Amino acid sequence: MNHKLEIRNLSKTFSTEEGEMMALENISLEVKPAEFLCIIGPSGCGKTTLLRMVAGLDHPSSGEIILDGKEVKGPSPDRGMVFQEFSLFPWRTVLKNVEFGLEIKKVGNKARREIAERYIELVGLRGFENCYPYELSGGMKQRVAIARALATEPSILLMDEPFGSVDAQTRNILQEELLRIWKRTKKTILFVTHSVDEAVYLSDRVVVMSVRPGCLVKCLDVNIPRPRKRTSMEANEFREKLLMLLSLERSKACISV
Amino acid sequence: MKKSKLLQSLNGRGAIEAISLCGAIIIWEIVADFIIRNPIKLPSPYAIFLSYLKLWEIIPVDICTSLLHFGIGLGAGAAVGVVVGMLMGWFRAADRVFDPVVEILRPIPPLAWVPFAILWGGLSHYAAGFIVFIGAFFPILINTYTGFREVDKTYIDAAKVLGCKEERKLIKSVAFPFSLPYIATGIRIGMGVGWMCVVAAEMFGVSKNGLGFRLFQVFWPLHMMDKLVAYMIILGLVALLLDRLFRHFVEDRLLKWKKGMVK
Ligand SMILES: Nc1ncnc2c1ncn2[C@@H]1O[C@H](COP(=O)(O)OP(=O)(O)OP(=O)(O)O)[C@@H](O)[C@H]1O
Ligand SMILES: [Mg+2]
Repeated sequence: MNHKLEIRNLSKTFSTEEGEMMALENISLEVKPAEFLCIIGPSGCGKTTLLRMVAGLDHPSSGEIILDGKEVKGPSPDRGMVFQEFSLFPWRTVLKNVEFGLEIKKVGNKARREIAERYIELVGLRGFENCYPYELSGGMKQRVAIARALATEPSILLMDEPFGSVDAQTRNILQEELLRIWKRTKKTILFVTHSVDEAVYLSDRVVVMSVRPGCLVKCLDVNIPRPRKRTSMEANEFREKLLMLLSLERSKACISV
Repeated sequence: MKKSKLLQSLNGRGAIEAISLCGAIIIWEIVADFIIRNPIKLPSPYAIFLSYLKLWEIIPVDICTSLLHFGIGLGAGAAVGVVVGMLMGWFRAADRVFDPVVEILRPIPPLAWVPFAILWGGLSHYAAGFIVFIGAFFPILINTYTGFREVDKTYIDAAKVLGCKEERKLIKSVAFPFSLPYIATGIRIGMGVGWMCVVAAEMFGVSKNGLGFRLFQVFWPLHMMDKLVAYMIILGLVALLLDRLFRHFVEDRLLKWKKGMVK
């Protein structure tokens, strides 16, 4: 019962025009409070689908998802989500985007503004409050998305390749900022990526998924002390282990095709 | 070299546009005075200018009357069009209920409704407004519908995760603001169609006043062509002004956030 999140025998099939398509098969996973968990796997293996189900946006075909001892039935602001694609409301300014969840919660004007500004500051976007999303760079947009997800103070943060569409340097900076935020807010984070470097730098534990239908191949604890160095021996060793696992997965896929 | 400098210094101050306009008027005047030489077939700009002086008392009344008809029709068209378009775009069931009726009524030219407008409303402002309504309603409806149809699923999902779950709230906080540019386009098209409908309805005698009425029921039978052209120009200018006002207040203010996407 001391798990933050428990996923039990989760499967998901989509019915498409060509018939039933199994996206996820029998996934079981436990996540501890304040854990930083990375999910890594080839494209199309169902990472987004898994996260969407934890968010409550999709329903499992079978199995259950238990968060804080309660089964997940639908979306709720106690789970923040940062989407793979840009999802800021283009008709709202940065400030109004971050305030959105608070508006829905009916937080008063003044408190709302204060909270929003605090999170905008946390992601380092002070001074951009009144910009519209089209005026921001890709990295800035994702920072706003993070601030928006944090503003309703969810206890768990679901991040779907949030840095997938930014350049390598920005990506490194954003990773560091995310670690800082994670340390400060003590959130549980589920972080989807297909970058091995990212997984090794960020996570306490890496979950490797197989090609479709996605299932868990392996859970690896990343026992590298923090603060980590991207180029340290241990990191390199771990990276190699992960890459091996992933290429093994890929070769399996080739055989089955 | 000198010429291009001259052009440059004139550029950006609307000077070229002004010269072009003056040129057109001068050519018109010459053609009317020296080639056609028949004020019925082609009234000259000067004659038209004089007729403005003669008509100055009646012009504002006619403009206001036509704007009243226009306002009634456009207001009703926007209110009903946005609501029905929203329902059809958002709820599948509403789409299926309204769609056959809309598709059958839509291709009927607004002017075909004139007899019923007179029958139901008499020669009142509402009868003329009704024709405008028919003209403005469909473009507003179709555009609103499209807007609500195209709402990006990601925005809906993002809103849901942030706690916005009821349909009413999703419409208010996501679908409606998303659709605003579409609605604005619909209203702008509706304004164009509506203005044509005002004039046409008044011409057909749906009202006893207004720009179209005066033009077609008074000036034309009496062959007062200078005054008729004077009114034609007013018709164009009012439409232009309405469009500019709309763009200024709606597209430049309300839809500021679209800037990065279209321009
Ligand atoms: N709504 C849906 N209907 C039908 N099939 C779907 C749907 N959503 C996802 N799928 C399928 O499920 C599989 C997993 O998709 P998912 O988006 O979860 O992959 P992913 O691991 O996030 O990939 P990527 O790394 O490219 O983002 C894909 O084969 C996809 O085609
Ligand atoms: Mg994905």
